[in-house]
Amino acid sequence: MLPSLFLAFVEAPVIAAHAAHAAAAEPGIAEKFGLEWKYVVIQAISFLILFVVLYLKAIKPTIAAMDERAHSIDAGLKYAEEMKNRLAATQQQTEVTVKEAQQKAQAIIAEAQKTAKEFADKQQKEAFEQASGLIAKAQEAIELEKKKMLAEARTEIARLVVTTTERVLAKKLSDADRASYNETAARELTGV
Amino acid sequence: MAAAAKQAQQLARQLFKLSVVDNVVSTDRVAGVLAYVEKHSPANAVLVLKAYHRLIAVELAKSEARVEHAGAVAPAALAAIAAAMTKKYSRPITTTARAHPGLFAGLRVRVGDDVYESSVSGQLAALALSV
Repeated sequence: MLPSLFLAFVEAPVIAAHAAHAAAAEPGIAEKFGLEWKYVVIQAISFLILFVVLYLKAIKPTIAAMDERAHSIDAGLKYAEEMKNRLAATQQQTEVTVKEAQQKAQAIIAEAQKTAKEFADKQQKEAFEQASGLIAKAQEAIELEKKKMLAEARTEIARLVVTTTERVLAKKLSDADRASYNETAARELTGV
Repeated sequence: MAAAAKQAQQLARQLFKLSVVDNVVSTDRVAGVLAYVEKHSPANAVLVLKAYHRLIAVELAKSEARVEHAGAVAPAALAAIAAAMTKKYSRPITTTARAHPGLFAGLRVRVGDDVYESSVSGQLAALALSV
């Protein structure tokens, strides 16, 4: 676009010279309208100088800045794309790591649950055995105590029966009863 | 001291054997033994005589049936007991009766260390033990 604009400005004096020649030949439109070609040329040169100055001092730096900015934007986009890819890779890696960590955590939890269950079962079994032992010992002690009490009761009852019988016999047995009993005892002893 | 006691015991046993004739303690032999001891005064004479006395007492107890009774006992019953014991031990055994009201009724016969009993007290004791 800029070269074509430049050519247009460069060809402008030539066109103006042709136009001036034509006007000299015959009064043309320019003469009709009172145009001075030298002023037009001067204006064109001034415009050209202004254009060159503007191009060198404003347009070119602006274009360079825009190119640099575009380059920076491209670099930024590329960097963003790279970062996006890196982020995706990182996310993927993170997901893999998290998945592995979850699997390890699940394994650890399962192992811990298994260990806890085994420990609880062992504790329960030991407690049950201990309780069974205590119950058995208690039952044995109760049984022994019961037997002891029964034996003591039997002994006491027998002692009371014997004592009572002795008292009754001491009062009720007559001499005749004793003599008769002695006779029977003698017969029994002589048969030894 | 222990040796002297052992020696006295042996001498007492020898004297005791001399005092028994046909499983019966002979009074003549006992008198002769005592005269011998008095005359010769063996060593540890007191120990010898104590041991001799114990042996004679045991032997006499074997020849005596001590009958404990509650209530009256007929002489015939005592004679029957003496006859039965004589027959059982194959030596003459005499009876000695002694009242024992604790038996309530019945007899208890002791011959040496052997005891034969048929009494109410014995039956009650057996009942108490069996319960």
